[in-house]
Amino acid sequence: MSSALRGIWDNVVGLVIEDSQLAIGIVAALTITWLLGAAVESLHETVGWLLLAMLILVLLVNLVVTARRAKRRIA
Amino acid sequence: MDFGLALATAALPAFAASAVEFVEALTIVLAVGVTRGWRAPLIGTFAALLTLAVIIATLGVAIVTIVPELLLKAIVGALLLLFGLRWLRKAILRFAGIVAIHDEELIYQRELAELRAQGLQRTEFDRIGAIVAYKAVLLEGTEVAFIVIAFGANGAHALNAAIVGAIAAGIFVLALGVALRQPLTMIPENWLKFGVGAILSAFGVFWFTEGLGFAWPGDALSLLVLLAIFLGVSFIAVRMLRWMLPSGANVEARNV
Repeated sequence: MSSALRGIWDNVVGLVIEDSQLAIGIVAALTITWLLGAAVESLHETVGWLLLAMLILVLLVNLVVTARRAKRRIA
Repeated sequence: MDFGLALATAALPAFAASAVEFVEALTIVLAVGVTRGWRAPLIGTFAALLTLAVIIATLGVAIVTIVPELLLKAIVGALLLLFGLRWLRKAILRFAGIVAIHDEELIYQRELAELRAQGLQRTEFDRIGAIVAYKAVLLEGTEVAFIVIAFGANGAHALNAAIVGAIAAGIFVLALGVALRQPLTMIPENWLKFGVGAILSAFGVFWFTEGLGFAWPGDALSLLVLLAIFLGVSFIAVRMLRWMLPSGANVEARNV
């Protein structure tokens, strides 16, 4: 039973965190969006697009780092 | 929220995302049924479905009714982004050949071999078969529960629509499995994961920003723009990775 519960817990955590670098990047982008939205009123219209841009950047950087790591492994 | 909007923003995404998870659970249940008989895995499956129904009914309804709407949108948006970008990343890496494509046939054969090796005493209730099926359905189903709660976070109509979408996906996959009696290798799982990852990410950006109190131009219509951007960037990313690693297909399954 405990192994089943551990499996469920691992799965729940794994739902959102598979690659910790990606998860940290996403949380950082969300925090920056929240802070900017709260502090700079002129950004209210564009804060969503800013978040989108940051997330795309986080994803692309993560993919490139992963590909480079893979390339080193097969070299 | 009207019927059309609930269908488009909750039922359909929940159907597609849940179908992926049910396909993975079905592979294990089929392997158990074929090697050890059907009674135990079916009992395990129904027990897991009951557990999931309780999780969704208690947690889902509690979250949707108790947490203030804007806070709920921000939390769910953040979780959807963590979940969706994870799926999108994996689907991109799989298309680029850097991570192995999820092979239902291979998983099925491996599971068959393991279960046969464990043997079976025909006089007893097959506890192993029931537990393996229970765990498989519960673990994959946890993701379904998460998806239903996330897509249902927009209110009672959305929650009902998401539940209907997930149940429809379960019935669809189960019916296909019963009809074919083999793993559903014909379902383009990575394409589904790719598409659903982009949908989840688009919803995540939309809801997190709305949760902070900022409106999107065109309201829900901007979801289509967000989705198109995520899909476009992901296609470009696959091409970029293939260019970076032309031998990507040989790199697969090395725990990248």
